Amino acid sequence: MLRAKQVSFQYPQEGHGLPPVSLDVAPGRLTLVTGPSGCGKSTLARCLMGLIPHLYNGEILGEVWLNGFRTTDVPMWQLAEKAGMVFQNPAAQMLAPTVEDEIIFGLENLGLARDEIKSRLETALQDFNLTHMRHRNPQTLSGGEQQRLALAAILARQPQALILDEPLSMLDTTAATDLIAYLERFVAGGKSLVMFEHRHEYLDDLPEVDHIALGGNKEETDFQQHATNLLIQKNFNLIIEGLHVQLGKKEVIHKLNLSLTSGQVVAIVGRNGVGKTTLLRSLAGLQKHNGDIKVITPDGEQRPNFGMVFQNPDLQLFNASVRDELLYRIPNPDIPYFNWLISALGLDRYENTPPLLLSEGEKKRVTLGLALMRRPAHGLLLDEPSLGQDIIHKTILIRLLRTLADAGQLVMMTTHDLNLASHADRLILLGPEGEIIADSLTEVVLQDSSAWQKTGIILPNWFLRQREAESAK
Amino acid sequence: MRINRGGRSSRQLTLVENSPLRSADPRTKLFLSLAISLVVMTSIERLLIFLGVYLLFLVWTRLLSPTVQHVWRLKWLLIFLFAFDWWLISLDHAVLICIRLILLTGVFALFFSTTNTRELGLALEKLHIPYRYAFSLSLAFQSLGLLDDEWRAIREAQSSRGALPDSSSFWKLVTNVGDLISLTVPAIVLTTKRAWAITEASYARGFDSPHRVSYHTLEFSRLDFLLMAGTTLLLILLFWRW
Repeated sequence: MLRAKQVSFQYPQEGHGLPPVSLDVAPGRLTLVTGPSGCGKSTLARCLMGLIPHLYNGEILGEVWLNGFRTTDVPMWQLAEKAGMVFQNPAAQMLAPTVEDEIIFGLENLGLARDEIKSRLETALQDFNLTHMRHRNPQTLSGGEQQRLALAAILARQPQALILDEPLSMLDTTAATDLIAYLERFVAGGKSLVMFEHRHEYLDDLPEVDHIALGGNKEETDFQQHATNLLIQKNFNLIIEGLHVQLGKKEVIHKLNLSLTSGQVVAIVGRNGVGKTTLLRSLAGLQKHNGDIKVITPDGEQRPNFGMVFQNPDLQLFNASVRDELLYRIPNPDIPYFNWLISALGLDRYENTPPLLLSEGEKKRVTLGLALMRRPAHGLLLDEPSLGQDIIHKTILIRLLRTLADAGQLVMMTTHDLNLASHADRLILLGPEGEIIADSLTEVVLQDSSAWQKTGIILPNWFLRQREAESAK
Repeated sequence: MRINRGGRSSRQLTLVENSPLRSADPRTKLFLSLAISLVVMTSIERLLIFLGVYLLFLVWTRLLSPTVQHVWRLKWLLIFLFAFDWWLISLDHAVLICIRLILLTGVFALFFSTTNTRELGLALEKLHIPYRYAFSLSLAFQSLGLLDDEWRAIREAQSSRGALPDSSSFWKLVTNVGDLISLTVPAIVLTTKRAWAITEASYARGFDSPHRVSYHTLEFSRLDFLLMAGTTLLLILLFWRW
């Protein structure tokens, strides 16, 4: 049983915190908490687990009760015996050198007998299909495997309640569907589950879900559709011939051929590790490769010139303000273009704010701005652009990418987000060996069931229903 | 999906599972490492003799290759030190300094090619270092490889936006040292975030529990006694006044 009564929290920094919230999660119930970025979802998750106030400075009001204990009254280890928490980034919570040590760590802290630890370890490895990788380093696992391991490490402790902070955000479709199946079994066992998630369409099939929507500052961006100031290069073809990339002993891309025309948004979808990111890095000139990558324009052949937007915005941000960040090392900056861009990205109100203080969605848009300020001649390459983005930020992103394509740029993105992929003009499906399974208009590929089957991607029910509805239209 | 690491391969030290030292107690390997670190204080003649014995030992333990790879990373520093010391002091001194550095670097490779961080933590605990510190230290060593990956990712991301400091010559790097902020700030941010994420994850799994037990145990075997006896004998011979 998990209960919060008008709990609120104020961080020492002004303007950050959680407004008063109440919730009640009975055994055998799943509560979904949604809300835009910055509304306090992660803060509420930490209040429920007791990490706030035990590990954080700030002012907490109201009460949180966990299995009869008030979180402020008992030490953290005692709360951790009653509840478990899985965080957004599975790689960041791995703290042991092997998979089995990762599970053993939590069991040792319970003070269990050696035989009991061994028994729970084996059960957890089997339940989460981790037995064959028990001696591997968790940092070498895929995102889906790491999230499974994080869940196994928590559930082996047999908590009565589970709190999940955006557990699906970094998973591909198949891994997300698997995770939901595990969670369904957990709730059916009479346990309480609270899930904070943007991609809640995956919960549509669960029989009973209580839903709490947190408010926050829903921002409406005054988005300008016109892109007259963009330096565009219309009518070109990107030709990839015999692209071959070898990383160590592994052949990641094998003789890939592809031809793309300017003025479109192209989504590349495939399972984890099939070479999607490597393809983008090759196009951006960041990856050694064999084969030809060229741009053919009416004036002749050109070297590809794309801007790259990385998955993690923290890799690039360091300046004291968004303005300084966008203008850093831009020779003779075009200020009217800068003003248009910062407004189009919905960042004009943060012009003088340090970018590291922005929300994840806003940081991502700053890094999009970094790529666009350099005015790449041929377009943009985006690696998982919707990762960790709420619906508002995703809508802004989709509209911006559409604007760029309409202005003649070629926009290519890798994504696991089927909602985002369905907004592309063209959809490329990569198979398990990185081969092209399908390459056509998005509406055509979305309906091609046999192609999806070949990719090894398990399509979730919500997506199949959506596809049937589209097909009926 | 390899999050934030797409397309790169790590340069972390991997465990050499077929090394005889892999099954040795980590406390023995700590003793061995400490002994080698002491040997560097001996004279150049004795150091050269030790280097010969040490090379044979590396061949027997199948650790020659990871050690050479590890030392190879320091090639520019070694060349610089060798030239600088030869120029300013003497050839003997230059050789001595380089051998000392090679040995100390090799010790690191020897230990971490045969010991994982859990074993290190357990050894430190057995040596009566409080669990909190033993755990933190083992986590710190575990993060070293990740730091390397993150540093490369930052360099790549900054180079794609033209924000990489100009390192085409040493002088340019020195005069534009302020530009290094484009690398250092993201590195600090990523490291801090990861440290905080691990802190939260460990507390959510009862890290501060007073009831903690240790599932794994350490026990000395015949190999450990042989290694320690051999190392002690070698130390006595090297430091004996004869």
